[in-house]
Amino acid sequence: MTARSLSICHLFPEALNLYGDGGNILTLAKRLEWRGIEARIEEVPLTETPSFAATDIVFIGGGSDREQRIVCERLLERKAELEAYVRDGGVLLAVCGGYQLLGHSYAMGEETLEGLGLVDLSTSRGTPRLIGNILIESELVGRVVGYENHGGRTHLGSGVEPLGRVLFGHGNDGESGAEGCVSGNVLGTYIHGPLLPKNPAVADWVLARALERRYGSAELEPLDDAEELAANAVMAERLLRGEEKE
Amino acid sequence: MGLPAPIARAAGRATSRLLRLAGRNASQLPGRVALALDSQLLASLAPGLAEGAVVVCGTNGKTTTTNVIARACQEAGFSVDCNWRGANMLAGITSAMLYDKGADWAVMEADELSCVHVLPQLKPRWLVLLNLFRDQLDRAGEIDHVQDCLVEALAASPGTGLIVCGDDPLSVGVARRAHAAGTEVLAFGIDEELPPPPDRVPEARFCQVCGAELGYEWRAYAQLGAFACPACDFARPPLAWRAKAIDVSPKGVSFEVRDGEDRPLAEVSAGFGGTYMVYNLLGAFAAASLMGVSPEAFNRALAGYDPKNGRLQHYRLRGREIVLNLAKNPTGFNQNISLMLADERPKAAFFVINDDYNDGKDISWIWDVDFERLAGEAEAGRLRVVAGGHRANDVQVRMKYAGMRAPIALTVAEALAALEGAGSSGAPAGSDAAELEPLYVLCNYSALWPAKAELDREAEAL
Repeated sequence: MTARSLSICHLFPEALNLYGDGGNILTLAKRLEWRGIEARIEEVPLTETPSFAATDIVFIGGGSDREQRIVCERLLERKAELEAYVRDGGVLLAVCGGYQLLGHSYAMGEETLEGLGLVDLSTSRGTPRLIGNILIESELVGRVVGYENHGGRTHLGSGVEPLGRVLFGHGNDGESGAEGCVSGNVLGTYIHGPLLPKNPAVADWVLARALERRYGSAELEPLDDAEELAANAVMAERLLRGEEKE
Repeated sequence: MGLPAPIARAAGRATSRLLRLAGRNASQLPGRVALALDSQLLASLAPGLAEGAVVVCGTNGKTTTTNVIARACQEAGFSVDCNWRGANMLAGITSAMLYDKGADWAVMEADELSCVHVLPQLKPRWLVLLNLFRDQLDRAGEIDHVQDCLVEALAASPGTGLIVCGDDPLSVGVARRAHAAGTEVLAFGIDEELPPPPDRVPEARFCQVCGAELGYEWRAYAQLGAFACPACDFARPPLAWRAKAIDVSPKGVSFEVRDGEDRPLAEVSAGFGGTYMVYNLLGAFAAASLMGVSPEAFNRALAGYDPKNGRLQHYRLRGREIVLNLAKNPTGFNQNISLMLADERPKAAFFVINDDYNDGKDISWIWDVDFERLAGEAEAGRLRVVAGGHRANDVQVRMKYAGMRAPIALTVAEALAALEGAGSSGAPAGSDAAELEPLYVLCNYSALWPAKAELDREAEAL
């Protein structure tokens, strides 16, 4: 087989880098590299106009409220391109603030701001902030463990599947038990920061979808994930044993 | 308000005596007991200070800066109340004020969010603001919120002046708002171009006033440097204390302090720290000189400075030099990595990360630390790493993705065993075989105390 490579577009890392989001990009890159697949990381700064023509994976992280507003304004200018990319099966991973931007609208203070409208969901504001360790069970990728910290309450449209069900923590709105969303090749979640390192199944889902779109085969060589899975299991067990919620 | 202050104070002191008799740490509980009886007790203790109070805050460097100022005051002949060990919320500060009939000065470090409670009661003459970095987002919220709290704290204590690090856009953002509301502001900073730092600007890339991306003439580390906004007038303020002729080496730091008109004030040197320590010591010098401490007394305090508080403490254990230090957020860790890389010997590192309440439950920030800078050393066989703490598994994964394999250890002894058991003695070929690689033990907040207790017990202090 000829050498394969994937192009990963990290949107506005200078503004969206609130919780170790670089760890997600690093994980995608390493897991490609370990399989002999080239990873081309394209960091798109706010001053540049992203084109998604040659992109295989788009990553949108979380930022502070002020920065998120700047980012959304920039992204709305590129709404048509992003829509076309997603319609074409482009893989998009959005975390925390980035997840909120995927919907029709999101709330910032008293204001309701227009979102990218890529997935049928919307986000309102609630108190208190939903903060703490989180564990979910996902049919798609198994147990996902991480941390959430959001004031938003995200409500999924009727046709949108959640990423998983909350076993510990809050999830989309603190009530429904749903966490995140999966819509085609778009995956959104409140599980921030090192989502991918400790949840290698999520990372490999992203990579497999992108490889399938680019090369027609989603097959991924298995890796030794003993350390990643141990980190996942240690926290999952700790939370299921009844750790105090924040 | 409940009972009269003298009763609350007596109750706090009695609690303290009981704790000390029981051999327990008395840095928090006496204050908590006293505050439960009189929530405004600090306000009634503050007027007993003959000279007044100075409060130190900032994400990194509070404890060291506070200790240096307090030691310098003692060296100058003042009596001092101080929360030496870093108990920096209202209860810890109140505890540290319970004992004296009235010291000359209170020198207190305060948690950034606690300033809003501490300042209105203590009414310090000066607040020293060292820096603001991203830390404990789950507890403190975003930096914007920390800044709002500091502005509010200063507004609630109109007699307090602000001594601010003029090189930090985030701290200057606070100073600018406080100044507009009437606070006296004096700035300190580095006044010469430093070699380009290896790290990236992690936050505060954008102007605090207009949102444009800041430009830098040069940068010291993180977001600290000679910054200016290209679109508005937000820029580094004039400096009342300037550090010049800076020398940073593995042996420590030295620099010259000059005043606002560039007249020399003092030469300062210390046998510890990296670039970040220049800022801590310059901030301490600024506060101390405003408190009437001479440069000579300041330098005597530095020469005898050995707080044994787990910050850059040196030990010897099983033939190895052990360096213990606190590293509790990306900027602190990146500065420690710089210190390690400046040490030319082959070395080992034990990274210990807990997620207790005091640490912040969210440890996502370990992915913001530039551990990749160590990968080259590891690949060359000149660095080995061990993972520890309640989140050892997360540290291990972080190391893996930085290109390093890290076994897990629960204690310093286990970390040493892991290094010894790995086959190599750690002694590099061709070097003195008796000298094993030094071990850097870098811990976040709650992980520091068990490691320090173990080393105090088992190791020889250097």
